[in-house]
Amino acid sequence: MSADALPYEEASPRWPDRRVERLLGALVGALLALVATLLVVVLARAWPSFAHNGLGWFGAGGNVDHELQAIFLSGDVGGTPVYTLHAWPLLWSTFLITGGAVVLAFVSSLFVAVFAVEFAPPWMRALLDPTIRLLASVPSVIYGLLGVLVLVPFLGNHVISEQQKASVAYIVSLSGYGLIAAVLVLTVMIAPLMVAIFSDGLRTVPSGWLEGSLALGVNRWRTFWKIAVRTARPAFVAGTVLATARALGEAVMLAMVAGSVGFSPNPADGLVFLFEPSRPLAATILSNSDGLSAPPMRATLFALAAVLLVSAALLSLAGYAAKQPLKRYGIQA
Amino acid sequence: MKARNLIALAVAALLLVPATAGAVTLIGSGSTAAEPFYLALFKGYKKVRPDVKFVYTADGGNAGVKDVQQGKSQFAGNARPPLPSDAGTTYVKGFLDGLCIVVNPANKLTNITTAQTRDIYTGVTTNWSSFPKSRLHTTIAPVGRDSNGGTYNFFLQSVLNNAPPASTVNALLSDGLVANAVQTNPNAIGYNGLAYVQGNSTLKALSLDGVPCAPANVKTLEYPLSRYIFFVLPQSNPNADVEKFIDWVRTSPEAGAIIAKTGGVPAFNKAAPVKCKKGFKKKKSHGKVKCVKKKKAKKRR
Repeated sequence: MSADALPYEEASPRWPDRRVERLLGALVGALLALVATLLVVVLARAWPSFAHNGLGWFGAGGNVDHELQAIFLSGDVGGTPVYTLHAWPLLWSTFLITGGAVVLAFVSSLFVAVFAVEFAPPWMRALLDPTIRLLASVPSVIYGLLGVLVLVPFLGNHVISEQQKASVAYIVSLSGYGLIAAVLVLTVMIAPLMVAIFSDGLRTVPSGWLEGSLALGVNRWRTFWKIAVRTARPAFVAGTVLATARALGEAVMLAMVAGSVGFSPNPADGLVFLFEPSRPLAATILSNSDGLSAPPMRATLFALAAVLLVSAALLSLAGYAAKQPLKRYGIQA
Repeated sequence: MKARNLIALAVAALLLVPATAGAVTLIGSGSTAAEPFYLALFKGYKKVRPDVKFVYTADGGNAGVKDVQQGKSQFAGNARPPLPSDAGTTYVKGFLDGLCIVVNPANKLTNITTAQTRDIYTGVTTNWSSFPKSRLHTTIAPVGRDSNGGTYNFFLQSVLNNAPPASTVNALLSDGLVANAVQTNPNAIGYNGLAYVQGNSTLKALSLDGVPCAPANVKTLEYPLSRYIFFVLPQSNPNADVEKFIDWVRTSPEAGAIIAKTGGVPAFNKAAPVKCKKGFKKKKSHGKVKCVKKKKAKKRR
């Protein structure tokens, strides 16, 4: 028996590997069960809203704010519940703001990360890295306040002209709260997250690959762009997915600067399109949370949450699928 | 062993805490307009009676009265005076709620009518040139609250006759953000509780239908956007703890401060006792207590 006894059990009798393995396994299992329960609960509570509207839920029609108001008021005792909702303006707003911010943040983060990893002098790198990590952890309310106190008044008073305001005066008011303010603040919010993950990816590229290219006489920029950036593509996908998820779920900041009107900004309006107010899904849940006590409103809010939850899940699946072919010659991320 | 003992102790302590607190839970429901006040007051009451817990469901004033009639709730909040259908309940005046229509100081307008305000918020009037006295010829930027919170409901009921605001109105997250939007935009118009307007030179409150927005006019209900927030109790056997709470809300200076901070007007609360710094003494003049510098005793030679 003594010959068969595992040596590590003697070395650490209190926390043998096997016990730690089981404990951590149980914790992960509990986490998965929690996620599954969350999905089931949200979808079950959201069901009445989807069932009453069918595919029309995702379509356009009527004024979303008036529909939400009617749903809320129908929750009074003795009233017949109303569920009619056409959530297109909210979906479109979420798509525009998230998409705009992710594209802007991706392009700028890519170049900032390349600079920070390869081209910045050591003293600047020593300054840049902690700053970016600090920015990535700033709470979104702070960005929202900056947007409301600085960016929105600037846009409203100095950028948007009186003619532009008057041109849509009967439909929406252009006072600075709008698409461009939301996209800019959201970009500033998610870019540090992207830069941090991108630079981690770029740093893991084996230096031998770069040295080989440099030894062949290829210049520094071309070497880095063609080899390091290509190799680190899985990290770019991972960073973008994470940042997009944060952008999708952002509520407080967007409720503060996006204008909070259930309106779908119309690209056909030209430049004015950029200034038009709207309200994304997460901000809608936040600004209607008082209605949770009314059953039809609760179902509607859970339906909005379900759409967010499912799109976040699809997003990480898409990220996983996009990473597979890139991993072949690349790094793991 | 030591670590394990500590963990065991911590777990035991966690299990014991709820068992030792013999908490009283009071159940209320009703007005959404009153909810923000109530939530703040519930929080403040913890300092007086830490053992009392509140559950308040904002299901609307009328529903709250029904809950009291059926015995589901021990009290209800309501923002309208009693109706004949409210038989079996007692209405107690809690405090007052007043809402000012505010503009940027750059706007020279001093008075607006309720109908004009309604036109702005329903998107009928969109330019300040409709108000020659404003001396502005720009597009109006109306701002309001999102559907959370009492000010939105109050405005909706008393100005818009329950019609939802037009899409030209930017709905903001809090009363403070509404004030900020009006302060930073010369073309803006908004609505704020009295607490935001008093002693604030960057925000101008308009007279509504000729009556200035001031606590004195709210107390007499002369100002159009003022009303009592009522507590509704069952006529027979009201809960004693609820009555104590309502007494505290109506009379204590602490509750008065909370009401004022949340944007209401305390109606019956005693003034907070005046505390004077060293070297100052209390002096009564015109019914108000003020701090006056103590006169130094003259040195005699």
